[in-house]
Amino acid sequence: MQKLVSRFGLLLVLIGVLCVAPFTQAQSRVQIDFYWASAVEGNLPAIFQGYADQFMAENPNIQINVVYSGSYTQTRETIRAEGFDPVVDVAIMLATDLSTFITDSPIVMLNPFVDAAGGEVFLADFFPAFIANGLDAEGNVWSIPFQRSTPILYYNADLLRENNLDVPKNNEELIAVAQALTTPERAGLLLPIAGTFPIWIYQSFAAAYGRPLVDSGLDTVYFDTPESLAAIEFMTRVGLPIEEGGFGVGPRGGSAWGETPTAFVSGKAAMIYHTTGSLTSILQNVANSENPFEVGVAFLPSGPAGEDGTGYGAPTGGGNLYIFDNESTPKTEAELEAAWQWVMFLSSPEIQSDWGAKTGYIAARYSAWEIEPLASLVVEYPQYAVARDQLEFAVKEFDAYRSVDIQNIINLQLSKIISGEVPLDQAADALAEAQAQIDQLLAPFKGN
Amino acid sequence: MEQVSTSINTASTVQSRRIKHPTWRHLIPYLLIAPTLIFVGLFTIYPTIRTFEQSLYQPGMNVRNERGQRVQQPDTFVGLQNYADLFIPQTPPHPIVGGFLQILSNTIVFAVASVGITLPLSFGMALLMNRAIRGRALWRFSLFYPVLLPLIGGASMWAFLYGNSGGLINTVLRSLNIPTQDWLNTPDLVLWSVIVVNIWKQAGFYMIFYLAGLQSIPKDIYEAAALDGASYFQQLFTITIPLLRRTTLFLLVIASTYAFQTVEQLDVLNKGMPANRANLLLWYIYQMYPSSQARGYVNAISMVLVVILFTFTFINFAFFERRSADE
Repeated sequence: MQKLVSRFGLLLVLIGVLCVAPFTQAQSRVQIDFYWASAVEGNLPAIFQGYADQFMAENPNIQINVVYSGSYTQTRETIRAEGFDPVVDVAIMLATDLSTFITDSPIVMLNPFVDAAGGEVFLADFFPAFIANGLDAEGNVWSIPFQRSTPILYYNADLLRENNLDVPKNNEELIAVAQALTTPERAGLLLPIAGTFPIWIYQSFAAAYGRPLVDSGLDTVYFDTPESLAAIEFMTRVGLPIEEGGFGVGPRGGSAWGETPTAFVSGKAAMIYHTTGSLTSILQNVANSENPFEVGVAFLPSGPAGEDGTGYGAPTGGGNLYIFDNESTPKTEAELEAAWQWVMFLSSPEIQSDWGAKTGYIAARYSAWEIEPLASLVVEYPQYAVARDQLEFAVKEFDAYRSVDIQNIINLQLSKIISGEVPLDQAADALAEAQAQIDQLLAPFKGN
Repeated sequence: MEQVSTSINTASTVQSRRIKHPTWRHLIPYLLIAPTLIFVGLFTIYPTIRTFEQSLYQPGMNVRNERGQRVQQPDTFVGLQNYADLFIPQTPPHPIVGGFLQILSNTIVFAVASVGITLPLSFGMALLMNRAIRGRALWRFSLFYPVLLPLIGGASMWAFLYGNSGGLINTVLRSLNIPTQDWLNTPDLVLWSVIVVNIWKQAGFYMIFYLAGLQSIPKDIYEAAALDGASYFQQLFTITIPLLRRTTLFLLVIASTYAFQTVEQLDVLNKGMPANRANLLLWYIYQMYPSSQARGYVNAISMVLVVILFTFTFINFAFFERRSADE
């Protein structure tokens, strides 16, 4: 019996030691809870864990806890629910969530870290269009680009060649080519603007017409402008038959986001606007389809804003890296430094090159394109380089204070006009109404 | 008779002997329902009260001061202003809840149409399935299987059927040279496209209730009616339908409640768009939820929904629970 008791005691001691051991070890290591959200497919958890393992091998005093936090929306809600004392230390979230986090979460301003990393020289290696959404009106840096995208024009190169057509460079050529390629079975051009999120593609037309939806500030939105109206009319007419004053090249109201690449791959559309994020899957699906064809990729055609090429324009999209502080127990310098090291690692040219090649996101740094694996990929598939080169003309994606409410207003009004619920001759009034609603929401932020 | 009353007396004496303290005897029923009461209180009554309370406030805004620190302003009590914003139209429309009345009316059309079509359909299906036909089990299963499918899966299947360029319905129409429709992207059609999915999903479920009802009607009533020379339709309208009245009323309440809770299909079927023509109350709340400034409205709309659903529950209670207690 005594033996049993002593054995039991020994067991208890052993369990105790086992329980305490990780803590003593953990205490000496800085813990980083890292949330990542994504909107693309692939074995992403394994890739992120691989990055974390590599980072921890190089930095044995830092522990990265990789947490898949769902979609962007779910992750944002999780972080917002964590309030001013969040559990999260570093997160990948939409670049356009900056306004939300500035007001609702204790994100850390990154200026001191960026300065220590080389300041302007450090930032200069990132594409300026990707940096834009990480800055506030005063130029403070709040987030670092990680997984970014932009819309581009996909075209069926075989069809264009068979019909002796050149790749369209401006809106007039776009419509001419689309009309030449439209048949009862095939749309000449599909714009993915049906549904809840027309605002993204709309922004490329607004930029091409010369007045992007937002500028560097977060307190002004330019929706009710002549350029915006012209952009919306153009988008709507793509889906109207010629007898109703349209171009007769696509379905009324545009096409659904997910259905658009499918239609392109199956030959039911000659040209489409879609995200660079679809490039990898479109190339693969076309290669595996019954009737493979050469997939061409080009800049979104330019609008009237600049015949010299400045009328090109596309918004950026995708996610940036944010660091979170804790208001009741502020992070120590060592903890902040560890978080920054992890951000630096993920945004490093090596990881950006690897991540871009594995997912199809556009690597956010110039230098990432010069190293493997991206360097060889571009040689094999020059299509990837088009997206990169268009970035020179890309504009900041929509973000503003009250961004959720304002996006709801803009998407609804766009949907009403594009779907024909509001006829084109009343579109100007619809824009004015939406602008009044937006200004009402932004009034308290003016001058802040 | 005497014997019975004696035995009851004996039983109660035994019981009072076992539980000597009278307070305990009074407490026992309460103890027994306590777990339920605690759960209902914690997860139904308390949240409802909190929701109502929150619906009387506008959330304070978070702003950063010159030094970059966040300052949180306190919530402001606004009384019934949030409800006024919902129900009183403004020019320009209210920036957050300007679409509420349209969405309420969508929801009512959705509920009335869903229930109005599904119940007669289920009844018809039950009548057919109640007859001796070949392969009855297979037919019954075919009609019932949409109930078994997960809602998101079923809706995804319909999204494929409704697809504009590659959808099955349009492909069939095209091959027959019939003009196609963009089922999910035409403002006047989209709500009906969603209603059809709802009917498909629910009809089999309600059919089971009608089948059970039909089988509980004694055969001899029909035999007597047939002897008196009543035709099939006379039997249907004078025997079957009146005797299934309570089933119908019950299903009416259940189906209406369900219609007001519709949300998953919308996520798959164009998310209430275009132009909010297929947007319904719960989806509207869901869309608004990520906005930190819409909390007051989210709670106010939730209260409107609570009132509507409570009305159905009350009807259910008033008509069925009490009657069955009387009977």
